[in-house]
Amino acid sequence: MEGGGDSFGSSTAPLAWHDFLERMRQPSAAEFVKSIKRINIFSCLGPDYGSDLSIALSGTDTKSSFIVTFSNRAPDPEKDSTAVQEFLENMEGAFRAHTPWAGSSEEELESAGEGLEKYVMTKLFNRVFASVPEDVKSDEELFEKMSLLQQFIRPENLDIKPEYQNETSWLLAQKELQKINMYKAPRDKLSCILNCCKVINNLLLNASIVSNDNPPGADEFLPVLIYVTIKANPPQLHSNLLYIQRYRRQTRLVSEAQYFFTNILSAESFIWNIDGESLSMNELDFQRKMDSARERLLGLSTDSENQDNQANLDVQDRKSENLKANRNSDASLSMKDHVQGSGQDMRRDSDVIVDGKPVERVQSISDIEKKGAAELLSDDELNKKFQEYPFLFARAGDLTIADVESLLNSYKQLVLRYVALAQGMGVSPETTLAQSRQPPSDIIGSEEHENVNSVVNDNENSQGISKTSDDVISENDHPEALDIETSEKMTEKTAVDPNDGLEVSKDEAPRQPENA
Amino acid sequence: MGCSSSLPASNAGGLSNINNGSSDTDSKNFRVKLVLLGDSGVGKSCIVLRFVRGQFDPTSKVTVGASFLSQTLALEDSTTVKFEIWDTAGQERYAALAPLYYRGAGAAIVVYDITSPESFNKAQYWVKELQKHGSPDMTMALVGNKADLHENRTVSSQEAQEYAERNSMFFIETSAKTADNINQLFEEIAKRLPKPASS
Repeated sequence: MEGGGDSFGSSTAPLAWHDFLERMRQPSAAEFVKSIKRINIFSCLGPDYGSDLSIALSGTDTKSSFIVTFSNRAPDPEKDSTAVQEFLENMEGAFRAHTPWAGSSEEELESAGEGLEKYVMTKLFNRVFASVPEDVKSDEELFEKMSLLQQFIRPENLDIKPEYQNETSWLLAQKELQKINMYKAPRDKLSCILNCCKVINNLLLNASIVSNDNPPGADEFLPVLIYVTIKANPPQLHSNLLYIQRYRRQTRLVSEAQYFFTNILSAESFIWNIDGESLSMNELDFQRKMDSARERLLGLSTDSENQDNQANLDVQDRKSENLKANRNSDASLSMKDHVQGSGQDMRRDSDVIVDGKPVERVQSISDIEKKGAAELLSDDELNKKFQEYPFLFARAGDLTIADVESLLNSYKQLVLRYVALAQGMGVSPETTLAQSRQPPSDIIGSEEHENVNSVVNDNENSQGISKTSDDVISENDHPEALDIETSEKMTEKTAVDPNDGLEVSKDEAPRQPENA
Repeated sequence: MGCSSSLPASNAGGLSNINNGSSDTDSKNFRVKLVLLGDSGVGKSCIVLRFVRGQFDPTSKVTVGASFLSQTLALEDSTTVKFEIWDTAGQERYAALAPLYYRGAGAAIVVYDITSPESFNKAQYWVKELQKHGSPDMTMALVGNKADLHENRTVSSQEAQEYAERNSMFFIETSAKTADNINQLFEEIAKRLPKPASS
């Protein structure tokens, strides 16, 4: 049952994503492709595709009963989760028995299962992530609580011994956790948590060696994880954890991965219940600190009060009806529903977190992005749209010195467009910049820069990971958010074409000659 | 102090540890989740490290830290038990989180420090907690650690033994520092585990 090793390994072993797609492209995989594609096309799973799947696999057409459009059904996390778990289980069973996987090793089958999970969940993400109002509300509340706590909590409040205190290095762990919203696949999100834990453990281990103390156990680990979680305050943490719990294939959320996942669940639970006593503080003192943290937060985010905040957003809404593209955007009245991806840059500097306004404004940009992405998906001329960006599918190794100039030009163009766009949409980036002590073009640029970088597959983040937590993620199988987005779009396009099957765009989008 | 001393682990009872992380789980080879409970500073993680060290497999994929470790024991009846050992934070403020960890555990080790009566009280709290909320067929062990510090003993082994008997637990005193009784502890737990037909 456990296959060839530790389950932590299976969560982090290089995922043969391309191998998966490669095999799905073989003619013998046509039935699989068909059954999976139905999910893609309708973005849904029927209630009893288990049996339908076998029919699909035996070659009978089952169009009508197989899929009930998800969007016509009210989201039901319990049912959705069971449905996905069963689907993955059945498909994994089917892989075992059918070409092109028949006779494959356990490892190959495992990796096919991983590939399928990632593929399916990337498709279903928008449909199932934070899909019920309770989850959205919990996200907001948890985010707010952490944004208050992080202003005054000290390591001592959590029993972190002085010899293990190392706030600077903990930033590395925070950074890993903050990546959680850059990914859609449960495994990738889980990897962010495991990487965060791994960084913490390495730091603790080093500290224990330096101070000649016992090797650190849970007494040392959990408090630091809680502290790091509060400081990182990744948006929608609650939904992320539920999502992993529900949609990470249960047989792969075991052993070490399960242990560390339990730790972050327990960190969440602790944070929900934090009061004066749990921080060894006088309750009155605790309340006073929470109040003044709240004042500081509001004071920085608006001129007067909370209402201002809302009015502000209303104006933005009128300026652009696009802002409501995201079904969660009702929740965006406060600064909770944070941008995925770009939030990461904002959060690196904890001073910035205190600030509500930029976050809220960035939120709007994110909504526009989401709308744009949705439109792109339905665009027949998709490939043409990307021809302007010759480096989108390039790898670091492909680049030559001569490319630097054109890359820089493209980058500048992109930044100018971005800033102009933001300005035009009334989501002026200046506020953000004023708070962040960085020159304007820098912070706006850095977001684009990272995205571009990540597509080029040579980003500093990945290198950071490999430095701090070596083999946990390999750069290629853990693409950055935009990468996933892009290949997903392309896949969706190409999936309709029977000849191309599920192939990602890597071959279809050759580098264009520089024409900018 | 302590558990990092380099004495080899004693290996009594004719049983041996094996480094087999790759066996399939079946009726002869099964795995069990074991949760460690006890006040902070009683040496929970030291006990586990002592158990795992010596038989440590450098190729093991377990790399994240000492709060989770796994180790496979071979028993005389040629079954193997893979322990997946979950450490918990022992500080008072984290006590309410323990159920998240012992849920689904097949075995629990409740540790106290024989030089600390407070830690023995805390151990009794955990025993009650497990009896109330843990799985009913959980195999439980009461462990008095730091037996090497017997000059400073404040918890008599007889008292602890009696308490353990009243609560149908297995009791043993260990020293993670000298490795005394560490393997015996895990072997005894392995023997007492209800053996599933398959898992």
